[in-house]
Amino acid sequence: MSWSPSTPIPAQAGIGLRSQHFREILEAPPPVAWMETHPENYFGEGGAPLRILERIRSQYPLSFHGVGLSLGSTDPLDRTHLAKLKCVIDRFEPAFVSEHLSWSSVGGRFLNELLPLPCTEESLDHICARIDDVQTVLQRPLLIENVTRYLTWRDSPIPEGAFMAETVRRTGCGILLDLNNVYVNAVNFHLDPFEFLDELPAEAIREIHLAGFDRFGRWLVDTHGQAVYPEVWGLYQWAMHRFGPRPTLIEWDTNMPPLSVLVEQATQADAILGGCCVAAP
Amino acid sequence: MLRLREIQEVFAEGMTAGSYRAMADALPSDGSALRSVALYRRLIRTNYTQVLRITYPLLARLVGERFFSLCARGYHARYPSTSGDLFAYGRHFPQWLLELDGVRLLVQLARLEWACHEVHQADDTRAPAVERAEAGAWADPSSVRFRVNRATRLLACTVPIYRVWHALQADTDGGGYDGGAEPNPVPEETGLLVVRAAGTVQVVGLSPEQFLLLHAMRDGKTVAQVERMAAELVPADQGASLLAMLLEEPTRSAFSLEVDP
Repeated sequence: MSWSPSTPIPAQAGIGLRSQHFREILEAPPPVAWMETHPENYFGEGGAPLRILERIRSQYPLSFHGVGLSLGSTDPLDRTHLAKLKCVIDRFEPAFVSEHLSWSSVGGRFLNELLPLPCTEESLDHICARIDDVQTVLQRPLLIENVTRYLTWRDSPIPEGAFMAETVRRTGCGILLDLNNVYVNAVNFHLDPFEFLDELPAEAIREIHLAGFDRFGRWLVDTHGQAVYPEVWGLYQWAMHRFGPRPTLIEWDTNMPPLSVLVEQATQADAILGGCCVAAP
Repeated sequence: MLRLREIQEVFAEGMTAGSYRAMADALPSDGSALRSVALYRRLIRTNYTQVLRITYPLLARLVGERFFSLCARGYHARYPSTSGDLFAYGRHFPQWLLELDGVRLLVQLARLEWACHEVHQADDTRAPAVERAEAGAWADPSSVRFRVNRATRLLACTVPIYRVWHALQADTDGGGYDGGAEPNPVPEETGLLVVRAAGTVQVVGLSPEQFLLLHAMRDGKTVAQVERMAAELVPADQGASLLAMLLEEPTRSAFSLEVDP
């Protein structure tokens, strides 16, 4: 079945596309509604990755989830990175393009970690200008994802949910809501996850991420290396009834299991989506 | 209250220089920040180690997890990341091993793995003149030159790295690379050809004569020059088979032909 880029990703479950599963997916395409991948993995000039993604793209709706743009950095935007991103977007025409509400480099120093922004008026002005810039170059709206954080900044007076809501209002971007990140932050900093969710504009939430975490000492860490935890499934059920069904991704990046495990998790998400009493937007 | 730029700079400085004091003004003073900083250092270190492990899976297997992790830390201190895209992060790892006065085997295995990594995603295009050249390639061998394709690397080596590479491949899923058949018994290992052929990265162990010929081809020698070299390198009755090897896959995928104007 071929898929036109104008067709939106359905409000069903998809899985992250990882190289360990390439062969299996090509030989026996799994029964999932869509797939998501990191565009940076396809920045190369040729070779097997691009050919494989073309084949997969012909069978599944695709979403791009960027990790390397350092959207919140106060350095100038990396135009080379952005040009490469535009190039793979033009080639594969994903339904969604997302990035993180975070920064990972400054002054030419790269930490390659999704670091949280302090939620201040200055950060808000800055991130909105950057999102505007990226959306102008890409000629499409961006989805921004809430990240896990393992610190609090000394000055961060705006609640994170309100910060995201205002970013959406000013830029017209959408939200990729990562519920595992919401749960991990809530546990690590004794926050109420529902307060955060209540601040988000429901209509801007276009995609959901579900993943597993690991425990390092006192911290829950968003490793994407486990099955989705029952507490996160509970949060997901609540959110889908509150916001309506949304395209939902099972993210798994480390400690990679067989493809069948990801498909089982996607089936579980589909069961919850199917039971939603609120209609999809 | 620090500006956003200052917050990012002191945090990055603290992370890279290992100094908590640098970032203290940006973080709460209740003591929680120390645990946060320690966790971020660990996460960042783990990320970079994982990138190197993906790029150098056989080297990691050979030296073991603990030693590889130590190498990854040392490497990052000397060659920190310079991009949001981590594809090229491990580029200098062979050089770093060399600077360490590392065992030659490790340095050369790292060079081979980096070549595989680059070739895996290198440009597919062959030299544009190939079709025209192939049509009349052998009409005038002195006017037809070899051009190396972009998904090709030729490596000199002084230790039997091909055998090591092949032996380590046997226990892995191949990582998208084709280990090929058991290595031929080559008397002296002189070089390796890394080439993408039929969609997979392939590594070919080369005899000294094969290496010299491929080296000449990479340098843009003409077909006639390569034929003469082959005749000088081996007895006349073996010259044809040496040249035939160059025209068979996977070696054939490494080169295009170009007619001199």
